Amino acid sequence: MNTLCTPQTCAQPTAGVTENLRKPLYTLTGNADAYEVRVELPGVPKANVKIDLEDNVLNIRAERASPTNESWKPLHREISAQNYLLRLRLNAPVDEEKLNARLEDGILTLSLPIREVAKPRRIEVN
Amino acid sequence: MKIARYTPAFELSRLAHLEPWARSSFTHFPVVGALLNEFLPTLSAGRLATDVFEDADHYYARFEVPGVKKENVTVELHQNVLTITAERRVKSGDQEESFNLSRSVNLPADIQAETIQAKLEDGILTITLPKPQQQKPKLIPVN
Repeated sequence: MNTLCTPQTCAQPTAGVTENLRKPLYTLTGNADAYEVRVELPGVPKANVKIDLEDNVLNIRAERASPTNESWKPLHREISAQNYLLRLRLNAPVDEEKLNARLEDGILTLSLPIREVAKPRRIEVN
Repeated sequence: MKIARYTPAFELSRLAHLEPWARSSFTHFPVVGALLNEFLPTLSAGRLATDVFEDADHYYARFEVPGVKKENVTVELHQNVLTITAERRVKSGDQEESFNLSRSVNLPADIQAETIQAKLEDGILTITLPKPQQQKPKLIPVN
């Protein structure tokens, strides 16, 4: 009962067990045409990123690739092994068809074009 | 002007003798670490987070360098101190920001500089350091 649970001895959480997820660092920029979200996801290969957009909530889930071999003995650890989850609520309708994501050097860049109907319209005075 | 963040160096050979619980301040207190991350993101953002592993023949050092291109990383070995410097450039429109991250690791003596390998993948820099010959157990044949 009283055994200590260290990251080395703990079994991997199985399905149904609460999982610890970490919120990645991100920056959000935008103008009248599009938002750009830049998320820091070091250690995540391209295949392990899942992005979905539902009810104006953008869900970004990323899983780290297992970094080490079984035979590697840890001497010092600072890099977290937790997977990433970022949820962003969008306050403007986004054109889902033109949503574009790119993962490069551990940075995910998402561009979210705003739908034509939501853009400010200028009315010429005759 | 250049601002360099202070990140204390640590001794690789000394680490090997520490108990696991003493090695990292927050590894076993994930709540504290998560809270710190939540409220002081710069604390972890400016630091070059490092993992060190070993197996029978090698030491492995991993550094978290998101957004850093291969050509902007320098790995330098000078008098048994391995220094990693990474320059991160962030372009947004016509503005460009650049950050310099640097960290040093004290290596045990006798590591051959020529045999060190570095690889950058998905924002993680992995450095492989072969252990010197005399640290490996040697089999002596009996005649």
